[in-house]
Amino acid sequence: MTVAWWCSSTPGQIWTWRYTPFLGVWTVAATLIGGYVVTHRRAGRPLDRALFRRWCLGVLALFVVSEWPLGQLGVGYLASVGVARYVVYTFVAAPLLVSGIPTWMVDRWFPFGTRREQVLTSLTRWPTGLIVFNVVLFGTHLPVVVDTLKVTQLGSFGVDVMHLGAALIWWWPAIRREKARGAIQEPIRAFYLFASSVLMFVPAAFLTFSPLPLYGLYELAPPLWLGFDPTADQQAAGIVMNVVGGFVLWGIIAGLFLSWSREQEAADDLTRRQRDQRTLARMQVMADAEMAANEGSAPTRDG
Amino acid sequence: MNGSSPLLSAAVLALALLASACGAASSTSLAAEGLPRQDDGWHGLPLEVGRSLPDVTLRTTDGEPFTLTEELTGDPTLLFFGYTSCPDICPVHLAAIASAMETAGVTYEEIDVAFVSVDPERDDPARIEDYLANFSSSMIGLHAELPVIADALSQLDLPGPVVEGEDPRGEGDLIGHPAQVIGFDADGEARRVWPFGARRSDWVDDLPRMVEEWS
Repeated sequence: MTVAWWCSSTPGQIWTWRYTPFLGVWTVAATLIGGYVVTHRRAGRPLDRALFRRWCLGVLALFVVSEWPLGQLGVGYLASVGVARYVVYTFVAAPLLVSGIPTWMVDRWFPFGTRREQVLTSLTRWPTGLIVFNVVLFGTHLPVVVDTLKVTQLGSFGVDVMHLGAALIWWWPAIRREKARGAIQEPIRAFYLFASSVLMFVPAAFLTFSPLPLYGLYELAPPLWLGFDPTADQQAAGIVMNVVGGFVLWGIIAGLFLSWSREQEAADDLTRRQRDQRTLARMQVMADAEMAANEGSAPTRDG
Repeated sequence: MNGSSPLLSAAVLALALLASACGAASSTSLAAEGLPRQDDGWHGLPLEVGRSLPDVTLRTTDGEPFTLTEELTGDPTLLFFGYTSCPDICPVHLAAIASAMETAGVTYEEIDVAFVSVDPERDDPARIEDYLANFSSSMIGLHAELPVIADALSQLDLPGPVVEGEDPRGEGDLIGHPAQVIGFDADGEARRVWPFGARRSDWVDDLPRMVEEWS
């Protein structure tokens, strides 16, 4: 048991609205974007603007929720911001990063037949992804885990890494389209994503409906304003996970489904056109043959 | 790792940097598990040395004299020394007690909750009243000159308040003071204390027992 018998406010722990840059976060963001560009240059590949944009947006999402103030608020002051960070890590940053990696880069990092490729393949099989994602989702929102890990800087970092890592693993088979690397197709993909969105309601419901604060970390944190209520903050956290997380995920599911249906439609159109062309060609041949036959059997004017 | 994967190396480096320099840290160095339940079922810690309500006269926010030994006997009492500019422990304690009273269905007629300011320089009666209204207007706000406060704390074997430096929020000085809430029975005898770290769930368990066993 660790308690305080003397109220001796530690200036580093009192919340102030004074900007405090987190140099590590700036460095990480610069390294991720710089590394992406350097990898292309070294490989002699041109930057694909669409992919680069996605990569940069993914890094930006990570940056915004890791830098002051959201990073600090979410780690130690407000459960609602903590869950919002999870939502952004999982449903915004991770899919953008996964979709921003060009196929040639995956082939270079994880050449077929290598140990690295085997590890990637086993981690990103869809049943594994589903299990990893949900174990991390449930595990890292358990009060005992939050109150044990998030009270130290290293522990908080570990939780962030788990969130991002699990999200990358989870999104990989749903977003990457390389069939040889375990990409899943509809309707399994829709089920895969939808199943997780439903399971997410469980921790969200605990947050929303618990009458008492679940996390001592946020309950005992210095309040941002007088009259601040940790239970209301926790309810907001549940709503953020449920509604915002759900909407973002369902939006992505809808987007992927529409994209798939357009591809299917295009493929159907192509098949239909090819079939029509074959039919037309066959009819043409038949018409030509008929005409030739008619010409051969028709009585001549001289006849 | 071949030479074609600087991004992978960068990612690993980035993660390592995050661990060492991200800067986002917890707001509390306290383990946040709350107070464990004692063998007798309480979360509040029993006092080994007998102490009574301090024999001092303070003033209410209405300016009326308020002698603790007279006014706070007859019902169980929670007594807390703090100040309205306190950035962390005081508002957390008071919010936890107010919320737990409501959750546990315990009223301020059953348990008196008294807040004594240790900062007479800034805490005038109106300020104390406004401050307590953030938690519950039924809490009793008390103030007095510093020697009287020091005397009250001394009778409880607690050290007096000390100025501990500047508040980073720019609200004057931070004042160090005892962080525990002291529980007195209806006869004014101190029975248990709740140091900072007590959670609402602890209070929800202990408040009805106070009413039941200390009235």
